[in-house]
Amino acid sequence: MAGNPTPSADQPRARLPWPWIVVGVIVVGLFVVYPPLKIANKSAPAASGSATNTAAFDAVAFAGRFWSEELLPATSTATDAGTLLVALRADPAASAKTHAHRVGLGSAAYYFARGTGRITAVERSRLLVEIGGETVAIRTGPVFGNAVRDGTGLLDVNQVPGLAEFNALSAEFNRLVEARVQPALKDAAVGATVTFAGCAEAPESLPASGPLLTFIPVQAELQP
Amino acid sequence: MKLIRLLAVASLLVLSFASCKQSSAPADDAAAPKASSNKVAVVVSTLNNPWFVVLAETARDRAKELGYDAVIFDSQNDPAMEAQHFDNLIASGYSAVLFNCTDAKGSIANVRRAKTADIPVFCMDREIEANDAAVSQILSDNYSGCVALGQYFVEQVGEEGKYVELLGIVADTNTWNRSKGFHSVVDRYPGLKMVAQQSADFDRTRALEVLEAILQAHPDIDAVFCGNDAMAMGAYQALLAAGKADKVKVFGFDGADDVVKAVAEGKIAATVMQFPKTMARTAAENADKYIKGQREFPQRTPVAVELVNSETVHKFGDYGRKN
Repeated sequence: MAGNPTPSADQPRARLPWPWIVVGVIVVGLFVVYPPLKIANKSAPAASGSATNTAAFDAVAFAGRFWSEELLPATSTATDAGTLLVALRADPAASAKTHAHRVGLGSAAYYFARGTGRITAVERSRLLVEIGGETVAIRTGPVFGNAVRDGTGLLDVNQVPGLAEFNALSAEFNRLVEARVQPALKDAAVGATVTFAGCAEAPESLPASGPLLTFIPVQAELQP
Repeated sequence: MKLIRLLAVASLLVLSFASCKQSSAPADDAAAPKASSNKVAVVVSTLNNPWFVVLAETARDRAKELGYDAVIFDSQNDPAMEAQHFDNLIASGYSAVLFNCTDAKGSIANVRRAKTADIPVFCMDREIEANDAAVSQILSDNYSGCVALGQYFVEQVGEEGKYVELLGIVADTNTWNRSKGFHSVVDRYPGLKMVAQQSADFDRTRALEVLEAILQAHPDIDAVFCGNDAMAMGAYQALLAAGKADKVKVFGFDGADDVVKAVAEGKIAATVMQFPKTMARTAAENADKYIKGQREFPQRTPVAVELVNSETVHKFGDYGRKN
């Protein structure tokens, strides 16, 4: 029968030469290891926006938790006020280097100290207290600034979403001082003894007059 | 012969794939130090304010000291122009961007585009509201500065009086950090009444115009709190023209040289010294460390600011503390 020859079992089959197989394997392998195309998800940048500061930050809850779980326990290891005042009187710069805490860059520094002293004056927004022959003030009026937030050295701006939230913490700590601590001092009288822990801004130099430090109290107790 | 040809083809394929991998490596591996250009871009919100000129020029000069070709891009307070600058610097293959943004939220996209192109961004002074875009943010602690300023404001004006607040650019977080810091103090004194609060965009001329208009309705104010020093000078000019410069106290923020001098002369009651040179130098040094391989940086570093009043003005000058 005429026609195309039918392949038979004894005819040799057309085979790919082995070098082409090698090249093919190499090409496929390279495509796997080094894909020439990269599929990018166009919505990825938007998704990563979850790391923006839009997430709600609850300054009240954060400050309340920090106050009870970290700040108050840390008062037991705060610098002794008597020791601090001796160091401050001797050399404000050295005292700040040894005892003060700073946040970020700049010259602002804060002390965290505890002590007991005798009340020598009761003024409109502060008490004057004598400790070891030195006078300090304890704030009893409206509280402003970052002394409590920055004074302990336990908080860092990178623990919260941003500066606005960090600032909100300051305001909340100040509110807690006014709500929880200062009421204990409202009956203060000259001659009484006060035991306290608090934060104070470190002065660059000794004041010409008046108290050496003004403490924002985080804990206070009066004894007659 | 055929075998040799095939092996040559295979070798070429291997080499071409390997070279493709090499050229895409920086984009895929952000941790790898870049072997790119020696150029650093300084993108600044505006050069129409001496304070930002100092910020930008200090950043540029510090980058040059560290061995880079540094170029300043002026965004002219225009987010669209800022985006164009980022397009250009990404296309030009800059090694890093020292960045003072126009918009805390709107500028995030620019920083992310640079990051995708493996160009690290280091923010200066103004914050962007994202924690995963810039490598680091060196920021003025505006809120704290205005808390101190607010306390001094109460001391100077008293617990009763009328005042005006001139806000900066409303999209800038610094505007609100300053305003909130100030109000956290002043609002505790109910006798202090804010009779007007209006934006003057951190601009001296705009502040002059805005306060002139406000004075028509409120000629009996006691003080003006301005969100920056350029606006404080504009407000002072408006008060001077109205014959009220001696009666109305003006408070600024920045520590610009002309305002520090005006504080010394008793024309401006107080300002707050930011430290643009410290921020700019730190940002440039961070960029240099990054380019050399360091990868761990705190996302935010606040820079403390200081009150400049008649008692402390002798300590300050040239956009910082006198040595």
